[in-house]
Parts: sequence; structure tokens; C-alpha cells
Amino acid sequence: MIGFIGRGLVLLSLLAASAGSLVAFSAAVRRSATGLAWARRFAYAFAGTMLAANLLMVYALLARDFSVGYVAQVGSREVPDWVAVTSLWSSLEGSILFWGMVLGLYVLAATWTNRDRHPETMPWALGVWLACAAFFSFLIAGPAQPFLTLANPPSAGPGPNPLLQNHLLMIIHPPFLYLGYVGMTIPFGFAAAALASGQLGAEFIRVLRTWLLLPWVFLTVAIVLGGWWAYEVLGWGGYWAWDPVENASFLPWLTATAALHSALLVERKGILKGWTVTLVLATFLLTLLGTFMTRSGVFNSVHSFTQSAIGPTILVFLSMCTIYSVALLAMRIETLSPEGRIEPGVSRDMAFLLNNLFFVLFTFTVLIGTLFPLVVEALRGVQMSVGRPYFDRMSVPIGVALLFLLGVGPALPWGRATPAQVRRALLPPLAGGVAFLALGLAAGVRAPWALVALLFGGYAAQVTLAELWLPVGQRMKSRNESVLRALAQVQSRGRRRVAAFIVHAGMVLVMIAIAISSTQGVTAEVQLARGQSVALGPYTLTFLGVDQVSEPHRDALVANVGVRRGERELGTLKPRMNYYATQREPIGTPAVRTTFPHDLYLSALNLDPDGRTLGLHAMINPMIVWIWIATGIMALGGLFALLPVRRIGLAAATQEPAAAVAADAGPGPTPARIG
Amino acid sequence: MNRKVLFGGLLVSLPLVILLLLSLGRDPHQVGSPLVGRPAPHFTLPVVGGGESVTLESMRGRTVVLNFWATWCVPCLEEHPVLAAGPRRFGGDVVFLGVVYQDETADVRRFLREQGSSYPSLLDDSGKVAIAYGVYGVPETFFVSPGGTIVDKQVGPLTPDLLAFYIDRARSAAAAPSKSTS
Repeated sequence: MIGFIGRGLVLLSLLAASAGSLVAFSAAVRRSATGLAWARRFAYAFAGTMLAANLLMVYALLARDFSVGYVAQVGSREVPDWVAVTSLWSSLEGSILFWGMVLGLYVLAATWTNRDRHPETMPWALGVWLACAAFFSFLIAGPAQPFLTLANPPSAGPGPNPLLQNHLLMIIHPPFLYLGYVGMTIPFGFAAAALASGQLGAEFIRVLRTWLLLPWVFLTVAIVLGGWWAYEVLGWGGYWAWDPVENASFLPWLTATAALHSALLVERKGILKGWTVTLVLATFLLTLLGTFMTRSGVFNSVHSFTQSAIGPTILVFLSMCTIYSVALLAMRIETLSPEGRIEPGVSRDMAFLLNNLFFVLFTFTVLIGTLFPLVVEALRGVQMSVGRPYFDRMSVPIGVALLFLLGVGPALPWGRATPAQVRRALLPPLAGGVAFLALGLAAGVRAPWALVALLFGGYAAQVTLAELWLPVGQRMKSRNESVLRALAQVQSRGRRRVAAFIVHAGMVLVMIAIAISSTQGVTAEVQLARGQSVALGPYTLTFLGVDQVSEPHRDALVANVGVRRGERELGTLKPRMNYYATQREPIGTPAVRTTFPHDLYLSALNLDPDGRTLGLHAMINPMIVWIWIATGIMALGGLFALLPVRRIGLAAATQEPAAAVAADAGPGPTPARIG
Repeated sequence: MNRKVLFGGLLVSLPLVILLLLSLGRDPHQVGSPLVGRPAPHFTLPVVGGGESVTLESMRGRTVVLNFWATWCVPCLEEHPVLAAGPRRFGGDVVFLGVVYQDETADVRRFLREQGSSYPSLLDDSGKVAIAYGVYGVPETFFVSPGGTIVDKQVGPLTPDLLAFYIDRARSAAAAPSKSTS
């Protein structure tokens, strides 16, 4: 019964999306308002049917209805209810169903918030969105059908992949990733619409930017959540391995971040329109590439779903979208005429350009590294893999260059500036840079790249804080406002600017934390007999013994390791080995003791059931928690930018204190920094 | 039509799409075995249930199907009937040998008693034979020619067709060890 209804809903969604797409494109060509209204209705219908289908599947999972194909695949009576719900996205078919729902909700939101605006471009955007929606509905209805009704339903199910039951983070990482990934469909539609209609004015770039920023926030969080999960669960003590599927999530983030920056130049100067649109199109295509990589079985990864017919289908869709994007660009890019020009020379404009250049370079290096094994195998039939050394060697210099721009860019004035002005802008933050560098050296940092990161990071930190304070200070001086009032006014009048610098602050912190955690950690790998101890940094670790734990879905051997720091007993850490009924090898869970300066990280390499010996891998990882905190700061900054300002009239919302505007914006000669 | 954009776009995207197309069907889990084409490593192992130990050398002149398995391995249980039917199906010039991988002898005995067996299973307690053959998971099956060369390695469960295919290749392989490309 459930299977029947589910299949019906999916078919309805396919119908709504296909019809809606056709109606939307026809409305675009004929400039029909009625057509647009109908396209919107079809969009809402798609969202509604997808939502219903997902809720139905969740119900089936909770009810353990094993007559439904997907439930038979991942459901289980033994697992707790929260695992049953989250198994919606744990395997391939369910995850595409989930994709459909997220897409539906995004299309609903983007359509509804723009229902009275942009009548020339919305039909094009809707056409593109619903065409993508139709593809995913088709996938669900065909190759990836989760609602198959089994004639002989099994009495029990295997449960989802045990790795997905190990940690609470697993609940939120996939949804966030989907909110990021799938969300990129919306700016893709807007970018295609800009090209098709030949319009990318100030109003429309704002819409594009907003709908690029929202998924960007989710994607940023999702990428870091993935790293956090890998850190807390996989036991090797790291948070990023340049795994092909990690790279798949990172690639669109790089182009999206570049696009967010070049969009600013589109808005302020009317330049780089075609470039920005290209970046947005590329972002979406990279999400398709990413989903292909994850689902085709072509890449070996902890994420890989098994091979299926989905791979070729997604590849066909990716090819079609790519050809569509290239053709659209080639035919229509000339309609996006620039309204200004880049001022040559040392300026903030130039910094934006370099920023984009480095992001694109980064994208290409990661893409090449990820695909290189495929090239080698296709050409020479030899299997090889590209590992961390390549990626680290390429990404460290580029990352440090971007950190440099993060500081120097906002410090520089807009437009042409005299050498004296440039000097005046660029010299003061050196104090911050040198301070951070000195702190690092005092703390024992000697790795060259880490020291450079500290120097540039300190510089960028001072610039960012100065930029955040600048309008506040000026309001206090010129209007005699108190600190609090000035802050309130600035965050409401210059919200996007404040938010951007909050994100920058988070980014600086992330990059410093990454630099320190990658270079300053210490490790020990020892075999301990019961009662034996090992020293690591300030800690003494003693193997106390083993407990056996039985849980409904797994058995575990828990090693008790006593932790002492100097004279203080800090308690017991419990790394464990989990044994799942459906897995051959046990899966270890590390024990992590998090403090602000560093994490003490223990994982059990081997553990005998009698508790006589423990193979212990112990690490001290500095500044890890700051990566998570800083990501939170970035996310909050991004969301803050999206919050509507409670002011009367659109013009008021973008007003900034005159001084900050002069220092910050607009083309024109010698915009001197005040003060 | 902006030809630069068209050309540039196709230059970047077409190779990518073609590359991905070519890589479909690639199974990254299929790691090529360096042993294929080389002489099969020697071993002498005891048989489950007692009796004389089995030496690989004594099988020289006959095709050997060497199957690494375990009772806790679900695909091994799936392929068990296929292998069990082997000796009767392929005749006396093909020897079937099972090697137990990381398992408890009691469990193995119980399994063989319940499921039946038509060929000996050998106990590799120290795991040295598995290591010598580069086994990294079960089931893995090696096909050894009458001359003692490993002709093929199958990772994953066997089907009747696959079994016949590999045995044919092993039977007709040249006596002298040669480098094959599979």
C-alpha cells in the first residue's frame, strides 16, 4: 500500500516538474504572465508531492514496513528510532528521494519569495529549476526507486551502514550537505535566467547573490561537519584526507566562494558579469559531478554507494547540463555588457581579481588531483591513486596566498590610489601579523608554512577587526553616538558589510587553526599491557582494563585508559571497538578529550577481549576545537547577511555611514581613508 | 556566438565528460593482484577434521581452485553451493581446496557438517598462507594452472559461469610461468 502511494507521489512529482518546466520556458519566450503563474503552481505541486513522498518513507521506516523495498534494504527492528529516521538518507535510493525533497523546498522558497518580482527572468529560472527537478524525479521513479513493493517482505532488516550509527553528527552532516549541494540549483537557474534574458542589473545580482549565499552557508557547515565526523568517528585523528568525495563537496564551495566575491564587483561596478555567471554555472555542474562521483561507484571512498544504473544516468544529465551551460554562455554572454572597468594597479579591485584567480586555481588543482587516477587508468590501464602529499603540497601555498589576500584586500582602498595611500593602508596591520608570529614562535611553532600562516593571519585579523570597528568609530565621533547605539545602527545599515567581515574573521581563525593543528601535533603508538603507562606531552596514559558492552545493534569492547596530567587525575577515556552483526571487521570509536588549546585523542588499534594488551594510538591535536567554533562564526555571519533588515524602504537598508562608504565603495579617483 | 567562450567551454568540459564516460564500469575495489602470472606460493596445511596435511606441490599436473573463505563471511556462504558442486562438475583433473581465513575451528567444523563439503578445507591458523597470497578479504579464489602458475584471481563470490570460465583458462594455460596482463 505504502509502496503504491509512494510510487504515485513520485510520478506526480515527475509530471509536475516536467509540465512546469515546459510551461515556464514557454512563458519565458512568449512573455506570458499567465504562463508564469501556472509554472509557479507546478513548482508548488512538485514541492508538495516530494515532501509527501519523503514523509511517507519516514513513516514506513519508523513502522518497519519491510514490504517497502528501501525499508527492507536499510530498516531494522533493532536500531533506535532516530537511526530509523536518519536511514532515509543513508543509502542511495533514499538519499535521492531526500534530494528531491530538499530541491522541492528550495524551489518553493525561491519561487514564493520572488512571486511578484523579476517577471522577465523568473520564467527562465523556473524552467531550469523544474527541468532539474524533473531529472531527479525521473531518477527516483526509475533507476533509484525506493518505493518498490516486495512480494515476499523479509521479517527483519539489516539496518543502515554501521558507520552511520556511530555518532550523532551523522544525523546532521547529510542534511546540511544536501541543503548546500541541492541549493546550488537555485543560483544556477538565476544565472541561466540572467543569460537568457540578458539582464544582470543591480537588482537581479542581489537576488542571485542571496540565493548563492544561502546554500553556501549550509555547504560550508556541511564540509566541516564531515571533517568533524571523520575526526570523531574514524579514529585516525585527522579531519580531512582529500578523499575523492570530500573533494567533491569542496570543489563547488571554492567556485561558489569565488562567485560571491566577484558578484560584489558586479554590484558595485557592473563588471565581471559574465565571469560571475560562469562561476555560478560551474558551481552547479560541480555539484552534479560530485553526486556522480559519490554514486557511480567509480571512486573508492568511505562514502561510495555501490555501483548501479544511476551512474550513467547522472553522467548523461551532467553532460546535458554542461552542453547547455556552454552553449548558453557562448550565445548570450555578450548581452551582459560591463558598465565599468577595473582600475589597474594596487587596489581592492585587483585584490578581488586575484582572489578569484586563486580560487579557480585551487579548484583546478583539486579537480585534476581527484580525476588523475581515472586518466591514468583510461590511458595506461594501470591503477594508481593520488594521495595527500599532492593535495597538501598544492593547497598549502594557495591557501596561504588567499589568507594573504584576506588581509591585504580589505586593507587596500578601492580604485586607483597613490603609493603613499597604499603604504598607509598596508603598513599598520603588520603589527598584528608580527604579534601573531611572535606568539607562535614563543609557543614553539617552527614549521615554516605555519609561521607564514600566523603572520598573514595576524595581519588579516587586525584588518578584519579594524574594518568591523571603522563605521562604529566614525558614527561615535561624527554623531556623538554611544558604542551600543553606533553598533546597532551599523549592523542594520551596513549589514552585509558587517556580516562579510564576520565571515572573514571566522575564516582567518579556521586557517590559523588548520595550520597549527596540521603542524604542531604529537603522536605516540604503543602496545600497553594492563597497568602499563605511556607519557604523551603533559599527560600520562595508563591502560586500566577492558569492559564488554552490549547494545541492541552492536557489541563493543571498551578500553579504559586513565588520564593524568602532572598530579591531577583527569578521569578515564574510553576508546572502543564496536562489533556489528553485518560487518566483518570491527569499527573503532576514538575517545577525545577536548579543551580549548588542544584535543587529547585516543584510539584503540587492537584490543584483546581479556584485556591483557591494548594497542593504543594517542595524539595531542592543537586548536582543533577552534576549527568548529570558527565555522560556526562563518555560518552565523553568512546567515546574518541574509536576515532582512527591519527598516522602512529598501534604500534605507543599504545606507552606510558616509565615511565608511567613501572608504569602501565606488569607483572614482583617490577615495582617501579617513583617519 | 562568442567563439572564444564556446571553444574554451568545450575544451574544459568535453574531456571531462569523456573521461567520466570511459571510467564507468571501473571498480576501484578490484585491485589487480601482482601474483597473477607468477608461481603459486607453496604451502602445507592441515585439513579440518584431521587427516593428512595437504601440500600444494602434490597437486602439480592438475588445475587447482584455491578458495579462501570463512564462516562469518556472507558472500562465502552464497558461493558455497557453487564450489561444492565443483568436483562432480569438472572432473578429476581439477582439485578444489578451501583455506579457512581467520575463523574458529569449531565453527568451521559445524558449518561443514551442516552444509556438507565435497573437498577438503585447510586450516591456515597463523594466517601465513593468506598473507603469502595477498588475501585482503574473503571470499577470494585463486586459479592455479597444472604447471603451478596463478592464472586468475577472483575477488568476491563465484557464480557457476565464472567458475567454468576461470577453470577453462587455468586448464589451458601454458606450463611455464608467464606475465599476464589481467
